[in-house]
Parts: sequence; structure tokens; C-alpha cells
Amino acid sequence: MISRKTLLLAVVFVLVLGSLPLAAQDDQINMTMWVRSIPFQTQAMVDEWNANNDSQIELTVIPSGEFVTKMGAAIAAGEPPDIASIDLIYTPAFAAAGQLVDITDYVKALPYAETLTPAHMELGMYEGRNYAVPTGVDGSFIVYNIDLFEQAGLDPDNPPSTWDEMLEAMRAIDALGDDIYGYWFSMNCAGCNAFTFLPFIWASGGDVLSNDYSEATITSDPIVRDALAFYNTIWEEGLVPEGASIDNGSNFVSAFGAGNIGMSGTGNFAIAGYTNDFPDLNFGVFHIPGQEGGAASFGGGDVIAIASGSEHVEEAWRFIEWTMSDEAQIEIYAANGQIPVRLELVDNPYFEGDERQLTAASALAVGHTPYTTVYNDLFNDPNGPWLEMLQVAILDGDIDGALELGQERFTQIMGG
Amino acid sequence: MQLTLFNLSWEQRRKLTGLLFVMPTVAFVTIFFIIPLLMTIFMSFHDWPLFGERAFAGLENYQELSKDRQYLKSLDFTFRYTALVTPPIFILGFILASLVRHNIRYIGIFRTIFFLPVVIGLGVSSLLWVWMLDDRIGVFNKILLDLNLVPKAQLFLGRPNTAMNVIILSVVWKTVGFTMILLLAGLQAIPDELYESAEVDGAGYFRKLIYITLPLMRRFIALALILSVIGSVLSFDQFYIMTRGGPRNSTISIVFWIFNNSFTYFKMGYGAAMSIVLLGILVALTGLQLYVLRERE
Repeated sequence: MISRKTLLLAVVFVLVLGSLPLAAQDDQINMTMWVRSIPFQTQAMVDEWNANNDSQIELTVIPSGEFVTKMGAAIAAGEPPDIASIDLIYTPAFAAAGQLVDITDYVKALPYAETLTPAHMELGMYEGRNYAVPTGVDGSFIVYNIDLFEQAGLDPDNPPSTWDEMLEAMRAIDALGDDIYGYWFSMNCAGCNAFTFLPFIWASGGDVLSNDYSEATITSDPIVRDALAFYNTIWEEGLVPEGASIDNGSNFVSAFGAGNIGMSGTGNFAIAGYTNDFPDLNFGVFHIPGQEGGAASFGGGDVIAIASGSEHVEEAWRFIEWTMSDEAQIEIYAANGQIPVRLELVDNPYFEGDERQLTAASALAVGHTPYTTVYNDLFNDPNGPWLEMLQVAILDGDIDGALELGQERFTQIMGG
Repeated sequence: MQLTLFNLSWEQRRKLTGLLFVMPTVAFVTIFFIIPLLMTIFMSFHDWPLFGERAFAGLENYQELSKDRQYLKSLDFTFRYTALVTPPIFILGFILASLVRHNIRYIGIFRTIFFLPVVIGLGVSSLLWVWMLDDRIGVFNKILLDLNLVPKAQLFLGRPNTAMNVIILSVVWKTVGFTMILLLAGLQAIPDELYESAEVDGAGYFRKLIYITLPLMRRFIALALILSVIGSVLSFDQFYIMTRGGPRNSTISIVFWIFNNSFTYFKMGYGAAMSIVLLGILVALTGLQLYVLRERE
């Protein structure tokens, strides 16, 4: 019979043995990475990296709307991730607060530093230093349903190029049936409308912020009023489904995929989804037009940065540099329909002959991104002034009240 | 003087024992209430970002409050909500307590059913209601449509007036069981003899209610009322989950606005100042309720 002492020894032995491999793993570098819930090709990147490297990355996906709050809380608690894929518009705020590692020297050493998408590089800078590089680039544009255009007697080869032409096209498509609508917007989603509605204003030569981003120009720029009136007409005439008024963004992409929507503002991230999930959908894309023509796009997407306090800066940069390599950009990004972060790689075998991808990529040429440390408070916050202004103007029809309210709250936030 | 247990008098030992008994509570209250409260007061006098440098700001945060349109709107909303949600909780709680008052066979089943929603979390119940109120898959719209009471599916949470009403409905469902239990304890503490002698004197239901039940339940009513009012003034989850403060920011409660300022706009100092003002309001409100419901000798 085994004595109690032998048994105890055996248990100790097993425990010690079992812990040996764990002890050996201590030399291995384990990094954490956060990405918001519109992951570009992040998961594929991380999987590929983990399969081929000693260091391992653990990826956590954070709901987009919660990203800033969660990241802020993690930083305040002293537990930030090593690497963060951040919506580019938030970079100035995090860099200004000293929460990102200065990577200027690393960036200077890149042979292709000049061809990285300019909007992302600009947003990744603070006081002349680099804090982030692009990892997902995305311009906004409009998708349209070619079949519905044809049914409504519109020429799908000549999509609308002014607001009036858009309205006419919407009315024609809307008339096709009770369940068919001219347009879709997610009017309870602040970020969706910064991405797809602001360019209507920009393309007409207007803006809601002054050139140096120091003050709000909502009441002083007449284009803002016109743009709100344009969307208000779409709502009043019932050219969008009623549910659009309360959609918080969960149908931002999928609504158009159902096939009964004529047009919708969207971004490159959606194209692969439409192609894969809705194979019967026959769609094209065009630039977001201004009132009388012209075009604009919101230069959106993510940048990648290293959080202050990371113990693996060197290794984190090695990963980041690899994500921008030819191999990763072409075989993972382009192959999956994602625009490469280096402009010279847009001409690649996967994009050849795909008009939609080329139009989408060219949207970046007219892309614009506001540079402000209070972007989240102004535009993306679900309780912020941007969404409230849009809802009051577009859904309630009180454009004057909305402009005044927007100007007042913008000014208050920008004043600190 | 040497202080040992042995040369203490009986009286001194008794006091020491008492002190030891209350020490855990004192330590708990100090760590989890007094220190955080002092820290909050300290923070409220600073420009205190969630991360980055902080700086002394004096009374700036408090002065800012009077100019914050949303803060005033949130105060107004919170008190309107409290005023609207408290009566139904009370009246329904009292009716339910009266129904399940007597210990008859199987009464436990009903007490359990009425109390059940209290046991699930407010976050869970809020999500449940979001789905039940949905315009495409929700059960409420299905019933209303099948009975031909509405021409098309209603966006309950998308309109300012209906959003408030359906949130109140969900909160009453969720919390009425708790008020019921408190009032039930009060009802059961009243001796039956009082009712019997009142009946002998010819008192009807309402006379008994006004002259026996309500006066003798004063303490329980005060407790239930104070807990219910504090809970409503501090409400957050239901608005955060069910409407996210919308539509048109019409359902941002005061705690929601404190949360937004502290953790989304990273203005911790400002959030702290709002919390202190709210604390003051709650203390005043509770004092008022205690005064009105005090035991008159």
C-alpha cells in the first residue's frame, strides 16, 4: 500500500514537473494587442505572425463605440495593451496625453516612409514627432445597386454627381415598390455619419470646423445648412426606411446588402462583405458628391501604435514593421480586398481590373480627416453634439434649432 | 501608565469589547466610503484628466456646472423620471403586498413570482426589454399588430415620449417586487387584533387603511420610499443600455452624464464636482423625506 508520504511526494513531483515548461516560457515575449470591432485584416495578420515567430500576440477586439473609454481606463489603471490599433482620429488625443511611444526614429528608417497614406501619417503626428503608422486605410464613398438603377430607368454607368441628381435617383428607385427605398443612413450612429455625411459638406467647399480646427463654423457656413436640408428632404419624403432613424450602426453595412436599397454611404471595409455575404448583389461605387459636383471622402481607418509602458517596444515595432511589408500588404491585405497602407502597392495583381477597388482607393486622394484632440467628444460620442444636431435637423426638421445647438455645444467642447 | 487587559475595570473592558466589535464596520466604511468621498471632494477642485497631468482648479468645476446645458437638462430629466416612476412602484407594490399578505396555502408561489424580476440584474432586464420592444422581433409589437391596435410596428425606444414610458414600465416590472417585500414586512408587523377591534367598531376597508395600516407602516414606507427615490435618482443602467441616452439625448440621467464626463471625455475632476453636488441634493432629499415621515409623538 502506498503511504501517505509517498503519495505527497508524488504529487509534489508532478507539480514541479508540470511547472517546468511554464518556467521555460518566461523567456518568451507575449504581447497584447487591442483592435476596435472593425478589424481590418488584423486577425489574419496576428495569426500569421504567431505562426512564424517566437513572440506571441494576444488580440482583443473592443466594440468600436467603447474603444476610447476602455483604452482610457486601461491606461489609467496602468494596464494598457502593448500594441493598439486605434481609429486614426483618436491618435492626437492619446499622443497629446503622452500615452503613446515616440516612434519617430523607427519611421525615419523605413525605406517607404514617404508612400504611407498621408492622412494617417498626419494624424499619427503630434508636435512634429511620429506616434503611429497606418494599419487600415479606408475612404468613404457611395455604393449603388446597379439592378435597381436599371429597373428605375437610370443609367448605372453615369451615377449621380450632384445632390439634386442623387435625390432624383432616390425618388425614381423609391417609386419601384413599397419595400424598395432610395437610400440608407444609420441616423442613430454618430461615427457612421461623420464618415459618410461630412464629405457632402466638404465636397461643396464647406466645413463644420475652421481650417486650423480652432473653432466651429456650423452657423457661419451656409453649406452646413444646405447639407442638413438635403438629408432632411430624404427623410421627409420617406426615401429611407423608418428603421434607419434608430439604427445605431448595426445595419450600417448590411442594410444595403439586402438588395432593396438604391444607395448608401459606406467605406472600403464593406466591399469585401458585400462580395462575400451577398453574392447576388450587383453594385457599383461612386464618390460622395458636393451640392453642385466635386467629390470628397473621409480618410478613415486605423493606425497602429505602441502604448507607453509597454515592456516590449522593440518586438512590438518588429511586428508593426512586418504588417507594412510587401508580403503582408499584398498577400494578406490586397488578397482580402483591403487597400494597402502604402500607396505604391495599390497597383497589385489582386486589384487589377476591379473598378470598385480602384475607385475606392482613389477616394483616398480626395480624403480628408479632421485633426482635433476632442474628435470623440465632438463627433463620435453617441451623446455628443454631432449626432444630436443631425437628428434634430434631419428627423425633427428643426434645422435652425439644430445649427444653433450644434454651434453652442461644439464651441463649449472646443473651449475645453 | 501600563495598559494591560488585567488592570482594566469591568466598565473599561466592556467599552473595549464594544470597540472591537464595531472596528470591522468602521474599517469597511472608512475604506469604501469615507476615503473615496474625501478623494472625490479633493478631485472636484482639480482639473483631473483620466490620464496625463492634473492641476489645481479651485472652484472652476463648480462654476462650469451652471453653464453646462446638458447637466441642467439631466437634472431635470432625472427628477422628472423619479417623480413619474415612484408612484407606480409604490401603489403597485402596496397592492401586491396586500394580495400576498396572508399566509395561506401556495402563497409562496405568488410571492416568488412577484419578486423574481428583482433577482435578475438591471442590465440583464434592460437588454431583455430592448428585445421585447424591438420593432421587428419584439413580442409587444407582435401582440399590438395581431390585435390590430397599431397600423405598423412601433419604434418605442426611438421616440422621446414613448422611450420614457417604456423604460418606466420596465423599471416598475423590475423593482416592484422589492418594494412589495418591504411593505409586506410592514403589513405583517401589524397585529390582527387592531383590525378585529376596528371591525367591531364598524370600520370599512378604507378607514382601516387610513387609520391603522398606513400610520403603523410609517417606518417601512419611509424606508421603501427613501430606497426607491435614491435608486431612481442614481439610475444609469436602464438608460445606458436601452436608449444610450437617446433619442436626441432626451434620456441622459445625471449619473449617465457623470459617467460620460469622467470616462468618455476623461474629465474626472468635473465628474467629481457633479457627484458632490448630486450627493448634496440626495442628502437634502432624504432629510426631507425623513422629516415628513417622522414618528409624531
